Amino acid sequence: MTAFANWLAQTPASTWVASHEWVIPTVQSIHIVAISIALVSAYMILFRVLGWVGADQSLDETMRRFWPWLFGALVVLLVTGLVMVLGEPARELLAFSFWSKMTLIVLGTLLTWLAGRTAVKPLGVLTLFIWIGIIFLGRLIAYDHIWGSWSGSKA
Amino acid sequence: MNIDAALATLEATRVANAIRNSLYFFPFLESLHVLGLAMVVGAIAVLDLRMLGVASVQRPVARVAIDVETWAWWAFGLTFVTGALMFITNAGVYYHNIFFRLKMGMLALAGANVAVFEVTARRTLQQWNTDARAPFAGRAAATISLVLWIAIIFMGRWIGFTTTRVTGSKPAPGVNIEDLLPK
Repeated sequence: MTAFANWLAQTPASTWVASHEWVIPTVQSIHIVAISIALVSAYMILFRVLGWVGADQSLDETMRRFWPWLFGALVVLLVTGLVMVLGEPARELLAFSFWSKMTLIVLGTLLTWLAGRTAVKPLGVLTLFIWIGIIFLGRLIAYDHIWGSWSGSKA
Repeated sequence: MNIDAALATLEATRVANAIRNSLYFFPFLESLHVLGLAMVVGAIAVLDLRMLGVASVQRPVARVAIDVETWAWWAFGLTFVTGALMFITNAGVYYHNIFFRLKMGMLALAGANVAVFEVTARRTLQQWNTDARAPFAGRAAATISLVLWIAIIFMGRWIGFTTTRVTGSKPAPGVNIEDLLPK
């Protein structure tokens, strides 16, 4: 992975992102806007599973309202996330926080869908916490040293 | 007491010192701040997009408002408290940062926008509650709200890129996650 990160850092796309100072803050800002759409779409589904909001509306209807927004926001997050990886390959790809975040995103997305299909409440609660974990791990990529030797990142 | 002295007093508080001297406290606050702001902006977007006729058009506006208002205020409280705690660790620098000032100005404008909405379109909500789109005053408030909140997110990120985080003069404690796990 170190070799891949070093190779990626030499590509024209990577050097372009790294040499234009406005790109990373702009892409990070768009990333956060998309996080708010994704998180609240997932939470509207999970809050409905738990019976906290919109109880007068069926779970199917809630899924129809919010799943497309969750999915669309995840696509924006993937694209903006890839630009951030291009900008600083080693800082992201060698980070323990980065890979645990990626794992939880796959899990959180699958479990949100499953909770929205099955209405199993404990699953809803678990999935709420997985999304919180994803947000924490995203921020911790910048502080990956706290993981000690689990972190391969020099950030 | 002038403003610089007040800012210095904030920076010297025990809480500010504790945050600066901890390896984990500031990242923890940042993470909670992102969590809170994502819930606030997402909740506001759900309602704004409903009023613009973009999403949830089958559901009455008042129902959509109740769905999000119940928890959005708690999320705003979390965002405000974590933001204030980050501010006091380096109050003098943040206070003079142009992006911080713009962000605070935009937050005030977002508040004023809600106040104007309350005395205009909100008064006649029963007449357009089930319409696919709000009347002009409602759509204007929703558009202004979306633009302001997206800009607030951009300003917040730029504060992070134009200020240097202050850490304690003491070296950071050599503790990391592994020390907490059984060998």
